[in-house]
Amino acid sequence: MPIVVNLDVMLAKRKLKLKELSEKVGVSTVNLSILKQGKVKAIRFSTLDAICLALDCQPGDILEYVE
Amino acid sequence: MKTLKHISIAFLIVLISGLIVYYLKPNNPIVIAFLFLIVGVFIFNLIIRKSLSFKNYFTSQYNLFTTKTWLEKLYDIPKELMFKKIIEVINNSDFKLVEVDKDKFEILAISTITFKSWGENLYISFETKGDETILKFCSSTLFQMYSWGKNGKNYDDLLNEIESSLTV
Repeated sequence: MPIVVNLDVMLAKRKLKLKELSEKVGVSTVNLSILKQGKVKAIRFSTLDAICLALDCQPGDILEYVE
Repeated sequence: MKTLKHISIAFLIVLISGLIVYYLKPNNPIVIAFLFLIVGVFIFNLIIRKSLSFKNYFTSQYNLFTTKTWLEKLYDIPKELMFKKIIEVINNSDFKLVEVDKDKFEILAISTITFKSWGENLYISFETKGDETILKFCSSTLFQMYSWGKNGKNYDDLLNEIESSLTV
């Protein structure tokens, strides 16, 4: 799929662990792991909103279209 | 095997009908023995249902006392992650997680016995195929030669929950 999830990059930049993000966002670590690998079927705006808020970033920092 | 099961059930119905006509009298030893046998098998199934060790007994095609539904689904998620995901989904579903074997990657979940359902055992195993995971589901009734649709519905609901849980 040409959409790449850069969640691990943002986590490294913010020096956050997946578990800490999970607690901040209210999404389970399993779901975040699946999202990190780009294996989810869809992502809700509410989840994206919460992740952006927690990581202080833009949706484009997490999702990237690669041809 | 299904034909054999249908023939067995038809035979049992005819046999029971015949027995009822000739032997349904109070304190008849044959009727009492037959009732004890049915209750005994039911209690035996009830006792052993919460163990993965008896998976082969419940899921065997030769076990005519249970109805089985098999399904395989492929997910492009690693086995370890999918294993945790399924546990999470079961914990949020009407099924009760009973036993988890982390070494063999096997899960046993059950639905409880209610006035509308005799209960159901759900066995899930995981296999790796490259980067993907094959989930093998086997839903077995606890003690029921025919499933009247309730078990299938529970099972479908869980599969739908797994699908919808992949939207985060």
